[in-house]
Amino acid sequence: MSQQSDNSNEPLVKIRDLRFYRGERAIFDGIDIDIPRGSITAIMGPSGTGKTTLLKLIGGQLRPDAGTIHVDGQDVHKLNNKDLYKLRMRMGMLFQSGALLTDINVFENVAYPLREHTRLPESIIRKLVLIKLEAVGLRGARDLMPSELSGGMARRAALARAIVLDPKMIMYDEPFTGQDPISMGVLVQLIPRLNKASRLTSIVVSHDVQETTNIADMIYVISNGKVIAGGPSKQIANSTSFWVRQFMDGLPDGPVPFHFPAKPLEADILEKAAAHKTGATP
Amino acid sequence: MERLAQLGRAGIASLQRLGRGHLLLLHMFSGITDLIRRPKLLIAQLYSVGVLSMLIITISGLFVGMVLGLQGFYILSQFGAEEALGVMVAASLVRELGPVVTALLFAGRAGSALTAEIGLMKATEQLSGLEMMAVDPIKRILTPRFIAGLLSMPLLAAIFSAIGVIGGHLVGVGLLGVDEGAYWSQMQAKIDLHEDIYNGVIKSIVFGFVCTWIALFQGHDCVPTSEGVSRATTRTVVHSALAILCLDFVLTALMFGE
Ligand SMILES: Nc1ncnc2c1ncn2[C@@H]1O[C@H](COP(=O)(O)OP(=O)(O)OP(=O)(O)O)[C@@H](O)[C@H]1O
Ligand SMILES: [Mg+2]
Repeated sequence: MSQQSDNSNEPLVKIRDLRFYRGERAIFDGIDIDIPRGSITAIMGPSGTGKTTLLKLIGGQLRPDAGTIHVDGQDVHKLNNKDLYKLRMRMGMLFQSGALLTDINVFENVAYPLREHTRLPESIIRKLVLIKLEAVGLRGARDLMPSELSGGMARRAALARAIVLDPKMIMYDEPFTGQDPISMGVLVQLIPRLNKASRLTSIVVSHDVQETTNIADMIYVISNGKVIAGGPSKQIANSTSFWVRQFMDGLPDGPVPFHFPAKPLEADILEKAAAHKTGATP
Repeated sequence: MERLAQLGRAGIASLQRLGRGHLLLLHMFSGITDLIRRPKLLIAQLYSVGVLSMLIITISGLFVGMVLGLQGFYILSQFGAEEALGVMVAASLVRELGPVVTALLFAGRAGSALTAEIGLMKATEQLSGLEMMAVDPIKRILTPRFIAGLLSMPLLAAIFSAIGVIGGHLVGVGLLGVDEGAYWSQMQAKIDLHEDIYNGVIKSIVFGFVCTWIALFQGHDCVPTSEGVSRATTRTVVHSALAILCLDFVLTALMFGE
């Protein structure tokens, strides 16, 4: 670890004026986010606003069109390949889809980062993997192949894999989706526990307002390429802002658009009808 | 005007693709040092790329050799030169049919499988997942497959030719009554190590390189959806077949030109 990590007042992740475009569409139009060390920070926002994209930008898998992302004092997009990989060793990421390797079983999937990055003897690898699998309740499923898991189980197995190297920071992309109330409860306890036990920093992307506000220290709500609210979770949960209330209370009408950008429905329908009448292609 | 712009865009897109393909190639080469430290990865791929292709190669080789025996006998007997059947069968196999047909079969059997595998790994975010685990997916997943393809192709082509010669023998000597001694001795006398065999091997190494490269690039560059993967698989087979046949002409012209 470099000396930067001792600088504990600095946020672990510092995003400044981030801009990212998909074609013409601005996914991020100048956002600033700070993720304090040792905290759980929730990123919320409607589906399709770019929460997954944000995590991929932080992990250095996508390049921003403008702006910077610093993780632990290092500009992620200025690092060379070797340093980027070193940085990623200290990041765990839980993918929305799980992203387990499909040609090896659950045990080997969780053991994979250990085998790649350490020279630990087999007995210790076994112990570490079983401990992590136990934590997510899948010790008994260790011999199953990923294709034999349900969606929720796959995500929990992926979680075990994300934490097996004891990273400094974990990014959870929708950890609660597809979990039954019991495993949901377990995860809701597991995330803060992991965070406390090893002074981890967690970023949780989630739609589950209730669960997320309960465990998060900080919340950022993103919509339409902007951060529409950010701050301590109590403050956000009690916010009176229209934008935030609409999202937190799940109201269909309000300033946060439920629809993907489009022209009005009537215009779309009429246009089709007109095109049919004249026989022209739209 | 619209047309022109479209043409220009298509041109730029294919140039970009070409550039990405070469970058991928360089990246794969840079993974070779890691591969030397972990030969296990290569062995697993040699099995799935090479060994699993052997059945189709053997059977095809046998039948191609048998057809050569039949056709060759028919033509040669018109000139009373049936003894040359062995040379004819062996030369056409070693020089042309061995490398070319093997490469075409390889593109259909192993190339398409490689593209589909890599493409699906991309579509299911397994490649992204590896990246976030600080494992370079190109070095870890693509390089072993590339080297395995490169090594397998000449061996498969050699097997194809050898089985083909036996097939020609079965038909020519066994069925049509060509003299066994003549079949073998003429072959031995007329097939040149340098001229025929080396050139055939060089061809199949080139084909192995190109086919595996195309297959891996198409998989790695595909649109990460089921439709994207299926298109990429088709492209692998089509592009490989075209590349093999064009390169075969060029190589033949260079080797046997003067
Ligand atoms: N590969 C891509 N090419 C083009 N556009 C993309 C691509 N991936 C995502 N997008 C666009 O980027 C936007 C953000 O996608 P992202 O996956 O980050 O959303 P999200 O906030 O994670 O949504 P969800 O909550 O549904 O997972 C989407 O509206 C999508 O249209
Ligand atoms: Mg998402």
